[in-house]
Amino acid sequence: MSVTQIMKPLVYSPLALMVPSLAFTSGAFAAGDSSGGLPQLDIATWPNQLFWLLITFTILFLLMNYVVTPRISAVIENRSDKISGDLAKAKEADAKAKEMQVTYESALASARADASDKAQAATKAANDKAAAGEAEMAKKLAKKLATAEKKLAAMRDDAMANLNDVATEAAQETVKQLIGVKATKAEVTKQVKAAAKAANA
Amino acid sequence: MHSPVEQFTIKTLFALNLFGFDIAFTNSALFMVLTVILSVALLVYAMRPAAMVPGRLQNVAEMMFEFVADMVRSNVGSEGRRYFPFIFSVFVFVLFTNMLGLIPYSYTVTSQIVVTFAMAAFIFVGVTLIGLIKHGFHFFSFFVPSGAPKALIPFLIIIEVISYFMRPVSLSVRLFANMLAGHTMLKVFAGLAVMLTSAGGVFVGMSALPLLAIIGLTGLEILVAGLQAYVFTILTCMYLNDALHLH
Repeated sequence: MSVTQIMKPLVYSPLALMVPSLAFTSGAFAAGDSSGGLPQLDIATWPNQLFWLLITFTILFLLMNYVVTPRISAVIENRSDKISGDLAKAKEADAKAKEMQVTYESALASARADASDKAQAATKAANDKAAAGEAEMAKKLAKKLATAEKKLAAMRDDAMANLNDVATEAAQETVKQLIGVKATKAEVTKQVKAAAKAANA
Repeated sequence: MHSPVEQFTIKTLFALNLFGFDIAFTNSALFMVLTVILSVALLVYAMRPAAMVPGRLQNVAEMMFEFVADMVRSNVGSEGRRYFPFIFSVFVFVLFTNMLGLIPYSYTVTSQIVVTFAMAAFIFVGVTLIGLIKHGFHFFSFFVPSGAPKALIPFLIIIEVISYFMRPVSLSVRLFANMLAGHTMLKVFAGLAVMLTSAGGVFVGMSALPLLAIIGLTGLEILVAGLQAYVFTILTCMYLNDALHLH
């Protein structure tokens, strides 16, 4: 009780400053309050409170230490592990996709090159074939032309020879009837040939 | 009519004896036990789903955990991990006793200076021992401010030592005084409302004013309850940091 009385003004006065109405009210109630002062300063209650504080806080600490905090931290760690794991997986998948894209693009490029090579080869082959065919055809045609020309020339020569004979005979007859002279065949032929040459020239 | 500090009286609920030592179960003891039961039950129940994507209640538990974990991490560093369960227990204990005390007809355990001082003293002694074990004799360099003029060092050491030994006092009195003042203030306004009502006449209407004040103060007290739990915990972290890292 003595300590209570010593400490009473020490604790009470700043409190009265903090709560201006406290001084008034506590004064007003003081008459009906037998013990007076703060119950907190009753030393008799302290061992009991310390005992229960020790018991309850120890139990709380043990439960927090062995039950509560391990559970919470396990869940939080689990989650952060999952998040970082998922992020790593996503990164891996991204790298894979990029790699696949590169592969795909190179395959596409090579296929494109291959196709263009093949197209060029096919074009060249077709061109070659066409050229060869054309050349052969041209050769054939030339041969045919030459044969036809030869034939034509032969026919013309034949016709021309016949014409000379006919002309010679006609000239012989004409001369005979005109002047009654029988011209020799050689003479007439010579003349006819000369005339034909002149006509042709 | 009772005094506004009557609410802090320790009342024996039932008597208990242990080897002749009086351990009567009091209202204070009841709320300490309730604090332990409610806080552990809430945290265990909230974490029961252990869901990857937390629900509302699980989020509350995780937020409390992360709040204290961040405090320890940023104030003590990685060495503070070992002490995290204790610091978390301190936070939960102070927070729950403060909050439970705000329920009408309940008892505020932390409004008892002996309780807050016992916690503060335990922390003070524990932190000092941690510092002594970790740094040995070098721990006392903590009391010598670096870069001070030589002539001033003796005085500064005296000041540092006094301020060091004042730590448990300031730590405990801060929490105790906040709880005491808040609850006293609520009772004063409540008493005023009762007085005005019993005065009759026009005073009955006026009693609405202190009643409104109580509503506002209750909101403020909820803030103070949380804030003081935070302050008590963060100061514990800071003292621990000082002991582990000196300056």
